Amino acid sequence: MNKQDKDYALVERALRLVGWNCSLSRRGFLKLTGSTALGLSALGVLAAKSGAATKKAALPFIIMEQAQGLVIGDPTRCLACRRCELACTEFNDGKAAPAMARIKVRRNLNFGPQGAYAGQRGQGSWGNGLVLQDLCKQCPHPVPCATACPNDAIVVKPPTNARVVDTKKCIGCKMCQRACPWGMMSFDPDTGKATKCFLCDGKPKCVEACPAEALRYVAWRDLTDKVPPRFVPTAVIPPEKAAACNQCHKR
Amino acid sequence: MAKTATRYGGWAGKVLRVNLSTGKIWTEDTIEKYKDFLGGTGIGYKVMWDEVPPGTGPFDPANKIIFGVGPLAGTGAPCNGRTAITTLWPTCWPKPLVATGHMGGHFAAELKYAGYDAIVIEGKADHPVWLSIVDDRVEIKDARYLWGQGIRRTTVEICQELGPEAAVAAIGQAGENLVPMSVVINSISHSAGGVGAVMGSKNLKAIGVRGTGSVRIAGNKEEWEKLIKYHLSLLGANNQHVVPATPQPWAEYSSPGSRWVASRGKAWGAADPPLETGTCDPHDLNRIAYRTNNAAFYLGDLAWQYTVRGNGCTGCPIRCHTIIRVPSAAAKYGIPEVLQNTCAGLMFGRSFFKNFPDGPRGQTAIEACMVGMYLADDLGLWCNYGQLQRDFQKLYYEGIIKSKVGGDEYKRYSWDKYEKGDPTFLFELLPSIAYKKGELGTALGLGTGYLLERWGIPEEEWKRDHNLTYWKMGHPKHHSVEDAGQCGVIINTQYNRDVQVHSHTNFIRNGLPLEVQKRLAAELWGSPDAVDAPGNYTPMNVYKARMAKWTLLRKELHDSLSLCNWMGPWVASPLKERGYRGDDSIESLLYSLATGDRKTREELDQVAERIFLLHRALTIRDMGTKEMRTQHDTIPEWVFEDPSGKAPFTPGTNRMDRDDIRKAMDMYYEEMGWDKTTGAPTAEAYRRVGLGRVAEELGKKGLLP
Repeated sequence: MNKQDKDYALVERALRLVGWNCSLSRRGFLKLTGSTALGLSALGVLAAKSGAATKKAALPFIIMEQAQGLVIGDPTRCLACRRCELACTEFNDGKAAPAMARIKVRRNLNFGPQGAYAGQRGQGSWGNGLVLQDLCKQCPHPVPCATACPNDAIVVKPPTNARVVDTKKCIGCKMCQRACPWGMMSFDPDTGKATKCFLCDGKPKCVEACPAEALRYVAWRDLTDKVPPRFVPTAVIPPEKAAACNQCHKR
Repeated sequence: MAKTATRYGGWAGKVLRVNLSTGKIWTEDTIEKYKDFLGGTGIGYKVMWDEVPPGTGPFDPANKIIFGVGPLAGTGAPCNGRTAITTLWPTCWPKPLVATGHMGGHFAAELKYAGYDAIVIEGKADHPVWLSIVDDRVEIKDARYLWGQGIRRTTVEICQELGPEAAVAAIGQAGENLVPMSVVINSISHSAGGVGAVMGSKNLKAIGVRGTGSVRIAGNKEEWEKLIKYHLSLLGANNQHVVPATPQPWAEYSSPGSRWVASRGKAWGAADPPLETGTCDPHDLNRIAYRTNNAAFYLGDLAWQYTVRGNGCTGCPIRCHTIIRVPSAAAKYGIPEVLQNTCAGLMFGRSFFKNFPDGPRGQTAIEACMVGMYLADDLGLWCNYGQLQRDFQKLYYEGIIKSKVGGDEYKRYSWDKYEKGDPTFLFELLPSIAYKKGELGTALGLGTGYLLERWGIPEEEWKRDHNLTYWKMGHPKHHSVEDAGQCGVIINTQYNRDVQVHSHTNFIRNGLPLEVQKRLAAELWGSPDAVDAPGNYTPMNVYKARMAKWTLLRKELHDSLSLCNWMGPWVASPLKERGYRGDDSIESLLYSLATGDRKTREELDQVAERIFLLHRALTIRDMGTKEMRTQHDTIPEWVFEDPSGKAPFTPGTNRMDRDDIRKAMDMYYEEMGWDKTTGAPTAEAYRRVGLGRVAEELGKKGLLP
């Protein structure tokens, strides 16, 4: 097996592992691996390293590693105290700022996801009492927030492989906010940067803070097809990225 | 956007001022003007002292209403959800004086995130309005479309405009109609009594707040995290009951009166699927919220099956409001099947009735609670800590209502239903109060003092009745002799409404055995003799006076920092390894780290004393007399009597001894450094806490001892 074939087999194995069923054209693979072969052999999965080299080659920045963990919530246990939102922001950012918390309870607290027009017939404290905890899905490829970022500022961070905002690269354009179907991107008005759930590097503060065991940190599973979206994403994928997607995804 | 402009954390930095007569909206710098008074009631009293002249009436445009929160509101400090509302109290009899109402919910936090430590409202709009606050965009909006609507519709409609996250504090029809026994409510069930009509008098239907900013923690965030976890470890259940109600595998003690009701086999039955509360080991901080179920505590075991979950304020793991789902109430009475409340609010409807067909803790009683909650929290009615219902029962069963209310009007009520305990009676009675319908509705809405005056009943009659637990000035006792003997008596003399003080009862009723309490009391107040077992009292001593002072100062401290005095102080804990000690410095630790303004426990207690003395000064100034001991700090007759004739200081009675109470008041005034003859603070007492100017002003009016 020559080196290229070895790489090809490696990529196939990696894709099978992550359950990606798209067929990969030889050309697309070659193009992709042109700049990421190093990352591939080092990590064992397709990991895009951003930086000058990637940009020069106009190759798409994509995240292929699955996250290792995930926070899930049980709405029948949530008591609407918001200690999760407070722990998220106070213990990570030094300020109580639920509007930028990476777990979002407040918006469902009164009326549920349908909002105030649900009146007393929805969820939340005004409805049936259920409070949904909105949580980042740590999406598999294609990761909407990362794909939409024109600056490749949403990256994978070991050991949890959470998708995190690289604040050095974030320019605060909020395109990621428009990309997430679940509205899970947050924005820190004090820094002017986006922020999102980074799983607190494996020890989520929200889980630790919940006084009702309503949140749990579990092994990652794909919830993207199980939780209904909250928003219609309106982000525009940068054209060079969109074009590059075709290289892999075309049949 | 809320900017933390000050060098301090904790505070938002601005006080929002609104003049409804002129439409002028402006802000003041919190630190510059109010830092010495912290926030909450502190800001409230300061504004009332500086700006509202004596002689102002509660419904005059010149009266102001202050929604104050403190530096800890909106932070992760446990139990920080309280908003203190200060104004001239319309049910304070015979003359309205300054007092405060307190509501939990999400209003306090949202106000902070919008960038404000307080809202001061003055003047009177020329048509119904509501105040819209979205960060720094503050607008006075037309509320004509909301006038006449209940609190529920008002809240939902404002949330449609501001977004579902908004916190809305609204009045119902009772407040609009200037019924003194009215509330303002936010977050469904979190009410502040007595102030609904003051808002109504200003044509102010509601305040809607939406904040997207933050509260900065000045200290190191790791230290803050450590402190929060430490504080959480000391928490008990509601009212800081640190011992479970029934024996638990981990627990050395149990106490049937405890609000720590969680146990194996006790489940939130209306959660889907049902959720067992379990043993709740105090070391498991992820189960704190299961300890309390106030529906089960107040309504009986039947309530477990109806419990959906606990609910409550921002940042509080003790969910003292319980959401219950009672389908039979919805089917029979056409009300929502899911409602929520706590304590007196939960029992609002039930308390009117003497009898129910299936007993006081049966299904009908729960349905009466549902109907009462639904109506009261929509019409915006206040119960005055249950005095409304106690008055009603006495007035009815002693035939006073029949004699005072005209024949036709009297006949319009279904008294047969009332006597049988039929909850539909509430649909007749409660709207009558909210709409001031007829003599009965009007009189009941006045509050006890003015009702008695209107019907020519001497107040003394009320002060003699053990069952009424009426104290003075139109209001009942609030944790008095039944909890803390002389200390309870002293505390109940100090305010201009029912005293919203829990520091003492949260200790006395925490469920620990007396010997443990006495050991802790010795550390806190200097002697084990500071506390007795309820109903088995010993004569007065100076340690009880010390405890009384501590109790009052912590109340004002909590109401100014935005910590919940229904939970704090945290001087006992459920932790055996700590000898059940809590920590008397929690408040100062939280304050110092959050704000960056380092203060010791003693220094912060001095600020609390400043705030408490300003309340005293306001009372003296507005009463126009320094003779507080005889004219203000009065004690009802029933305290000195026992229905079965038991003598004071014998087991099984709460009866107090007159001479001993005289001594108790002496010791209390001495402990405060006040004049014993008049009960008024001396100039020196004011100066000691930095209120020299207040002393000067009172001196000019001859109101210093």
